[in-house]
Order: sequence, then C-alpha cells, then structure tokens
Amino acid sequence: MPEKKPKPETPATFARLPKEAPRLGVYICYCGGNISDVVDCERVAKVLGEQPDVIVARTNMSMCSDAGQAMIEEDIREHKLNRVVIGACSPFLHEQTFRGTVSRAGLNPYYYHHVGIREQDSWVTHDDPEGATAKAIRLMNAGLAKARHLEPLEPIRLEAKKHALVIGGGVAGLRAALDIAERGLKVTLIEKTPFLGGHMAQLESVFPTDEEARPALHELIEKVVHHPKVTIYTSTVIVATKGCVGDFQVQLRPVARGVRGVAPGIQAAIEACPVEVPDEFNYGLTRRKAIYFRYPGCHPPTAAIDWEHCTLCGECAKVNPKDIRLEREMTTFQITVGAIVIATGFQPYEPRPGEYGYGEYPEVVTLPQFIRIMAMAEDAGELMWNGHPVRQVAMIHCVGSRQVPGVHEPQPDGKVNDYCSRVCCTATLQATADLRRRFPQIRIFDLYEDIRTYGRGHEEYYRQASLSGVRFLRFHTEQGPVVIADPTGEHPLVVKVNDYLTWGEELEVPADLVVLAVGMMPGPIEDLIDVLKLSPGNDRFLLEVHPKLRPVETAVTGIVLAGTAQSPMNIQESCAAAEAAASKVAGLLSQGLVELEPFVAHVDLGRCTGTGACVDACQYEGAIQLETRVIDGKEVQRAVISPAICVGCGVCVSACPNRAIDVQGWTLAQYEAMVAAIAAEIPALVEVEA
Amino acid sequence: MNAKEKARERTTALKRLREEHAETVARTQALLKEQQAFRKKLRAAMKGGPKTIPQIAAASGLPSDKVLWHVMAMKKYDMVREVGRDADYYQYQLAEEVAE
Amino acid sequence: MAEERLRVDALVVGGGIAGMQASLDLADQGYHVALVEREPSIGGKMIALSKVFPTLDCCSCITTPKMSAVAHHENIHLFTYTEVKTIEPNGGSYLVHCVEKPRYVDTGLCTGCRQCEYACPIDLPDPFQMGLSAHRAIRVPFSTAVPQKAVLDIDHCLLCGKCEKACPVDAIDFTQGPQDLVIEARAIVLATGYETTPRDAKAEYGAGKLSNVIDGLMMERLLAPTGPYLHVLRPSDGKEPDSIAYVQCAGSRDETLGVSYCSRVCCMYAIKQAMLLSGALPMADITIYYMDIRTFGKGYEQFYQNARAMGIEFVKAKVGRITEDEYRNPIVRVEIMEEASRVEERKHDLVVLSVGMLPAYDPRPLYGVPIAEDGFVEAACPNIAPPMTAQPGVFAAGTATGPMDIVDSIVMAGAAAAEAAAYLERHDGEAKTYAGRSISMGEKEAIHA
Repeated sequence: MPEKKPKPETPATFARLPKEAPRLGVYICYCGGNISDVVDCERVAKVLGEQPDVIVARTNMSMCSDAGQAMIEEDIREHKLNRVVIGACSPFLHEQTFRGTVSRAGLNPYYYHHVGIREQDSWVTHDDPEGATAKAIRLMNAGLAKARHLEPLEPIRLEAKKHALVIGGGVAGLRAALDIAERGLKVTLIEKTPFLGGHMAQLESVFPTDEEARPALHELIEKVVHHPKVTIYTSTVIVATKGCVGDFQVQLRPVARGVRGVAPGIQAAIEACPVEVPDEFNYGLTRRKAIYFRYPGCHPPTAAIDWEHCTLCGECAKVNPKDIRLEREMTTFQITVGAIVIATGFQPYEPRPGEYGYGEYPEVVTLPQFIRIMAMAEDAGELMWNGHPVRQVAMIHCVGSRQVPGVHEPQPDGKVNDYCSRVCCTATLQATADLRRRFPQIRIFDLYEDIRTYGRGHEEYYRQASLSGVRFLRFHTEQGPVVIADPTGEHPLVVKVNDYLTWGEELEVPADLVVLAVGMMPGPIEDLIDVLKLSPGNDRFLLEVHPKLRPVETAVTGIVLAGTAQSPMNIQESCAAAEAAASKVAGLLSQGLVELEPFVAHVDLGRCTGTGACVDACQYEGAIQLETRVIDGKEVQRAVISPAICVGCGVCVSACPNRAIDVQGWTLAQYEAMVAAIAAEIPALVEVEA
Repeated sequence: MNAKEKARERTTALKRLREEHAETVARTQALLKEQQAFRKKLRAAMKGGPKTIPQIAAASGLPSDKVLWHVMAMKKYDMVREVGRDADYYQYQLAEEVAE
Repeated sequence: MAEERLRVDALVVGGGIAGMQASLDLADQGYHVALVEREPSIGGKMIALSKVFPTLDCCSCITTPKMSAVAHHENIHLFTYTEVKTIEPNGGSYLVHCVEKPRYVDTGLCTGCRQCEYACPIDLPDPFQMGLSAHRAIRVPFSTAVPQKAVLDIDHCLLCGKCEKACPVDAIDFTQGPQDLVIEARAIVLATGYETTPRDAKAEYGAGKLSNVIDGLMMERLLAPTGPYLHVLRPSDGKEPDSIAYVQCAGSRDETLGVSYCSRVCCMYAIKQAMLLSGALPMADITIYYMDIRTFGKGYEQFYQNARAMGIEFVKAKVGRITEDEYRNPIVRVEIMEEASRVEERKHDLVVLSVGMLPAYDPRPLYGVPIAEDGFVEAACPNIAPPMTAQPGVFAAGTATGPMDIVDSIVMAGAAAAEAAAYLERHDGEAKTYAGRSISMGEKEAIHA
C-alpha cells in the first residue's frame, strides 16, 4: 500500500489567527512544598490576579497532577481563556505536560508560557521567603507580558525514514538491531572492526547463568545477519552527519576487508603472512598475523586484513590470488535514517605501567587477560603461568574504578575514574569459581573494598567463594595493596595489604599470579562524539537526557544509547538497555512522522533586504540561505529558513541589521515586553523590595 | 429510571450491604467508639494553648505514640494546627482555639 | 447484557512505574494497550517516595506526568481498582477476565473534592502514609491520584450515609457491585512489582514492636512534602530526632529469612535519605551500619562519596539486636567489623531498617509463568532477552523480575515493550493491529460482561 506522505510544513505558512483580547489564566504550583515552603504562592496568585487581562489566578499542590491539569482545562473552557501562564518547576520537566493540557482544552498549545519559579526561585532563594515571593511575582509578571504577545504555532511535522542506524556490532548493537528489525523497520548496522560480537566473544561464560558465551552470541548474530530488514557493514565508520530526527543523512566510510568469501585455502595464506602482532582477542597474550580470523567460528567467517600492520608484501595473495586483494580504500556512501542507536561499547581499563606491578612483572595480569588464560589452559594437572605452576592467586578489585583524587593518579585527561564499574566484582568471583572448580589446589586471596554482587544470582558467587575457602581481605582506598617481587624468591610476587577485617594490620600475600579486576572505560569514540554532537559526562560515558526517567535517550532527539557506551553494564543489562533503545526508535519512527518544536527562526520578508548577514552568522549548515526572488520585476536576494535544520539559537536574529528575523515563540517583541514587565513598578511589591 | 425507583434501589442495596457486612460494620462501630473516647480525653488535654506530644500525653495519660497518630489525623482534617516549637518538639493546638 | 470484549494488542498488569512505562512505550508505537491496576490509583510504589537518587528530583514531580500521560494517551485504556481473575488462551491471543471492584462512587460524577472524606467519621491507618497517619473509610487515595476519584472501603465503612449527604454531586452509589470485564489481548506484560520485607520479620530487630524502629518506606513518607507529619519526627512521641541510624541489609543477604540475594536499592536509598535528612535536620548525627556499600549504578559511587564528604558516618558492622530504653530510644547492638572486631551498644533516637525487596505476586497460577528460587519471575533467556518468560506472548518488566531501582525498571519496561512489539509483529498474520475501541468512562459499561 503506498504510504501517504505528509508534506513537510513550515510554520511560516500558517495563517495567523485574528488577534483577540488576551484572557489570561495564571497558575502557581506549590510543587508539593518545593515552591510553597519558600514562596507565598497564595500571595503571588493574589497579586497576579489583580493584573490586567488576568481572568483567573489559582494555586495547586501539584499542578502537573491529573487534578491540577483538569482544573486548567476546565478554566480554559469555562472562562474562555486564550492564554495560560504557569509558574512551576523548570520547563524542561513539564512544558510538554502542560502543552498537552492546553491542547486538550482546545487551545493552541503554544498559547501557554511556563515560568520556572522552582529552579530559578524557591530552590536558590530559600533563605529569603519574602524576597523569593517578590521574585516569583516579578518573574510571573514578565510571563504575563510575554503571554499577551504569544502567537499560535504548529509543530514542524517531518516525514520519518523508517530506517535506523545502529553503530556498534557488539551484543548491545546486535540486540538493538534485531528488535528494531523485528518491529518492521529497516536497520543498517555498522561495526568499526572487521568482525561482529564485541567483547562478549572474548568471554567463555556469562554470569549469572554460566551459559557459554559464544553460542549465545552466535545465535543472536545468526538472527541479525539473516534478518531481511538488516544490512550490516563491518570495517565501517561514520564520517559525517546532517539533518535531524526522522531524516539524518549519514556518510559512511568502509574499509576493504581484503579477503573475499569463505576463501578456501585461506589458512595457508594466513600462515604465509610474515607479520606478527599482539592478538587483541587474547588481550595481547598471544600473537596473530596481519591477515587473520578473530577466533575460530567468528562472524563473518571471512578472514580480514589488518591494514594498520599489513606491509603489503603480497605473500598471502601469492597463496590465494583469487580471493585476496590488497586494496584498502573504498568509496564513502550515504544513507538516510530516521534514528541512530549508539552501541559503541567499552574498553577495559588499561592499568598504567607499574600500577600494582602491571607491565613490570609478567605475573600481573588483568581480569580480561585472566579469563583468556583460563580459556587457553588445559584442565589436567596444574595451571602454569610464565613457566611456573600457580599455587597462590591474588585478585585485586577496583583497579581503575572508584578512584579518589589525590590517592590515584589521574588519567591523561586529568580526571580519575571515580565511578564503580559495576561488573568487575561478579566477574572476578565468577572467574574465581572457575579457577576453584578446575584447579582446586590453588589458594585464592580476594582483596576488595566492597563486594558488589548486586544482581540476581550474583550473591551466590560470593557465598560460594567464601564457602570454598577464598580468603577475603578488605583494604581502604587510601591504603591500597602494593605488589612487589617476593624477597624470599619462593613465589614471584608478594602483595602487601592492610586488612581492615583484622585490625588493619599489614599482611603479606605471596602470589604466583596477581589478577587486576579492571573497570570499564568508554570505547575511543571522540570522532563520533564530534560528528554526532553527543555529550559525554564527567565520567566520559555518554550522557542520557534524564538519568532517572529517560535513561536511553540523548539530548539529541532521535539519537539513543544502548549498552556500555552509556555506563558500565553487564551483558543482561546491555541487552535490556538495547531493547529499551529499540522501543524508543520504534516509537519515533513507526508512525512515519516526527514532530519538532516550532521554535525556529522566521523571516519577515517585508523587512529582509538580503544582506546575508544571517547566513554568515549561522552555525548550522543549510539552516538559513539566500534565495533569489523576483519582487517588482527586480531580482533580489531574500533569506529563507529550513525549519528542520534550524535549532532556533537566535544568532541570525542578532546579526540581522533590519530586525527582519525573529525566533518563533521567543520574539524580540516578547522579550521587550518581558524586560519592561520585570522592571515595572508593582505596587504590591513596593514595601517588600524597599 | 425515575427518582423513586432509584431511591428504592438504594435502600435495597444498603440493606443488603448491612446484612453482608454486619460483622465489619460492628467492628468499625466499636473502633469508632474507642476513637471517640480517645479523642474526648485528647481534646480535653489539648485545651488551653499550644502543647507538644509528650505534654498532651502527660496531661491525658494516653500513650504518646497513639497521641501523635491522632493529633496527625486531626491535623490532616483541619481539627488541629501546628502552631510552634518547643526544643525538639513541635506544638499543636485545637483548630477552634487557634481561630479564636 | 451481551458480553462484549475490549480487544487490544497488549495487556499490561500493574500500574507502577514499570507498567506505566511499558504501556507508554507500546502505545507510542501505535499499539493499543489495556493497563490493569488493582489499586484505586496508578503510580505504584514510586508515587509514595520522597525524592529519587541520584538526581534528587522530587518524586511526585516526575511520577505524576507519567501517570497523566498514561491517563490521557489515546492508545491506552486504563482500568484501576481492577483485578485479573482468570486467563484463557484463545488461539493466538489471551482472554483475560477481570473484575472491577466497586468504589461505591460514580466516577463519572465524582470531582475529587474530598467533602465525603471530611464527612466520614472513622479514622483508619493510611497505607499511603505507611500507617503513620490516618485516612477515612471513603477518600481520594492521595493528592496526586489518577484517577482523582473517591473510593469507599466497604470493609471499614459504618454505612452511616454521612458521605452521601456531604457529596455535592450525588456521586456516592451503594448499588454498585463488582463488574466483570473481558479483555482480549495478544500479548501480556507483567509489571506486578514488589513488596518490602515486613517490618516484623526479624525478632532481633524488635519484630515491628519498637515504634522508633521504622523501615525505609516509612522514612520516605517522613521526608516527602506530603508526608504524615510534614516534618521528620519519630513516631513514639513526635520528637525531632538528633541521632538516626540505618541498618543495611535488613531483609536482604539474610539466610535466616530465606533471602540470600541483594536487594540492590537499599544502599542508595539509605544514602539518599541520609543526605535529605542532613538537609532537613542539619544538627542530626546520621550513621549507616553496612556490610558492603553497593553503589554500582551510574553516578551512584560519586553520590556515596558526596555523602561521606557531608559527614554521614559509615560503619562496617553487623547489627545483631535492637532493643529500646525506657524513653523508647532504640539501642543498637553492633559488631564492628573493622579494626578491632568488637561489640558495642549504641543509642539513637530513630532507627531505619533498610528493608529489602520481596516478590509481590506469584504469576504461576494465572499466567503459567515460572518463578525462580528467589520467587521472582524466571526469565527464559535472562542474558540476551531479559523480559522474555517461558510463556509465549507473556513478558515481564520491572521488579516482577527481581529487585531493581527506578531507572533499571524503566529500562526493563522499554525492553519488555520491544519484546512484546516484536512478538506482536511476528504473530501478526492477517490480523492487523486491533482497533481497540476507544472508551470513555461513561461508555465503560459496553465492555462489561
């Protein structure tokens, strides 16, 4: 069935309603005491009720509640209000709520102005109730002044492309891609490396079920790969984007794989490669060639060339000239998508050289390395490491997490990792359980600050570890463990630690292997942050728009977060977040239409003389342009806005020498009225402000 | 349905409810009686100006936790007002006294 | 009356934050949703909280808009005070038989003015205030309830008729009885929530008999702007406490209670409350007795460090016993686990038990959804598809699937919506999205059996 394509409408085409005398409804919210504990709301209502054009002025314990909203709706109908001003929390929280209220009562939703008297008044002026009340009256009075100048507006409606881009081919990206595709939307998934699966592929088992990691992952990959709605590009990155929700134009740059298809005999070609580099799959514990498979059974099942290390010597191509082509470059291409899912994942914290002996002693490894060591170890007999049988292992928690300024050395950006990485406690205890099961003779010491086995089934690892004789030692941040060479030479290392479970005394734990439970850091995505204008938080992970209520959306509508790009998470949590992100994408795109706020620039063609000052000043490519028009038989230049691209920043307004541009909903006339009202003498306030 | 039928239906329904809920109604009536007796003592003890919960409890001989609960219930329905503070305690007063 | 059915794409059971979010996420995608809540208002446990961690947003400020959005969404049919009674499979969909309990109030007429409540002579412990204050046998459940309509508790009613006389719109209706209704749904999302450890669960902690030993949800009410006292006071005598202690893991990680798991939220809510208390009572000493501090979520560890910097005392200790002195001051017997392990008795004005989360609902009899050893819904594929249950078309969200905080519940709700949507699309066949007749309050009878 051909879909009905709505025409993108521009606010400029809307007919202005004839101006009627303003009939104002004023509402002051107690905010359950947040405002009324400081501001005398009843007094504010009384003073404002006496202002010109005000028909009703009311208060409510919670204006955003259903009862509060119903009251406003009833007033609009009964008193034929045509402007509504609400003094409450920040508009960020409830502007949309009240737009719905106003609109349900049959009024244009933009005939409403929101005044923040909580964040801008009661919360910051809490020690001066009189002053806060006066301030509320002034702010509200300015709101009334603006309201008298409000114009009806319509949201900008755009056709939404029923197509989403997922960035990242780890478990979160795969999960999000599958859910969006199942919903009937097209999905393009890009992965920067040549292989899918992310970090999950490097695990042997997943807590808390202890199910095998790769079979579970491969099942998901198979579903995604074979889904008719999904297109996957490996070795591909984003280089540029334009547009907005519903219509992002994304430039993608692929890099050639260098190898075609299943390529029979590729193993011989790999053997022929003379280059050897540390294998990141085993976190550098082993080496691989510059033409390689990530691991046996990896996806896609085609080898790839590591262009960073390939010397283009051609040895591999000599073995298999049919399937190997040593040409790296490919042309960039563009796709248009309605939404973007960021699933760029994490990287394990890399201890700095010397941190707990890392890089100094080969017996100090990270937890991800230890998981690979265990994966490669034979079950029979003893666990060997660096030529010695392992008899004692020390696990150290919170390496690269919960860091404290002044105690821990900062990262290169000057900040310490002050966050908890959430997964390391359970991951460490799961690895401990594996070690205990396979090599029961090894003595295990667990050095921790707090054991955070918070999840379902996680506590069981802790309990089992305690029962199986793992010795727990609790250190304080300021007195972290120190790893040195064993002076007696009996073991390679000794870990010195002040154990606060027993007097805080210094204990010495000899160890053949020290495992650092390293935390998570976001993947290196500076380029992407730049291209998509994303906001990382203080912890460098990507910021959500509201950490409590809107956990998977970013401040950019249409760009959502899935998995560890946002914060440390385990696999279960990454999948849940990815599915939630998919829900948001489906909610945005499945109707085929998106609505944007109409607060964009508007040109008064009667005043525009085509100076082009606005175009020069504009920071958003394509938001404002000069077009040639014929007026009175003469060809002239006039400014034209693209409402979907304009963000309403107002720079053009200040640049225009003719005052020909206004931001709708925030016009110069409205500002001037507000400024005048703020400065006006209000008889009721003379005494207070004296 | 006219008003008469409606009234009849209501009477029948109430009668049925009284039968079906005889036990809970009786229990609630007993509770009400108990509450009214408690309130009587409480009100008597609260007369004559602002008092804290321990002061009301001492004056009435009623347990202070129950006094607090009832004072808060009365405050919610505007029969008691919070009027001030005495060291670690807030003071309460009967609404009709405050109004005077 | 001939049986008519409301046909929807998805039925969401439970109107707490997870159920509301799952409903909104499905409805925003164009699916028709029936949301069934057994209480007279939606909002769940969240609406009764004071402020949320780690943002310290006022809870009612961020919950009420969700409640309102649910009530006004054109694709959501809201049924409050309604319980699911039986379910039968119906060739690719489920027939869900529900009973709407009588409110004895005509919701079409009631304006929520509360005059009936003022007229009612009996005071009862108000569960919204955790029993710390009273409500009446007829009442609007709380100030931000959705719907904002009175409900009469027939089991505590004197049948005196005072409310009837007081009602300005003649909304009291004693002729009401239970109403059966049938909802045909193609998918079901269980968002049945949690309960907290009963306050009397532990004899060592006074078995609920010490009035100055309260639980975390009671403290939420004491801190809330719409709380029972409008101040933080202790329940024994209304004293403003100078010294408040938190007992962590009071009901979690406790084999003696058969609860071996961590409840995930208690560390954060205790720290949050401690911070709010130091704002409300700047002179008070606040101590938190804990085994491990588990501030694992985004921004949580930083929140914990801020609390430490504010002077809140954290003591690694096991609390063995709580008693009280003759002034009803709680005496806490603690085994300090750091430095010299030693036993001490410490006196406080008020003790808060950081109670844990317990499953609230057994989904086996009605939905055939298995539960795990811990009593919460067992996921069929916990790592890759967390909301999926073993029952086709039935998904679970929020704390029905185990202890979790609000943000994790919201994420799980979104995930459940995604799973349900995918299921609906996979099983679409010829049948298109159900038209889901839009019904207003007045029209509601039409779907009653």
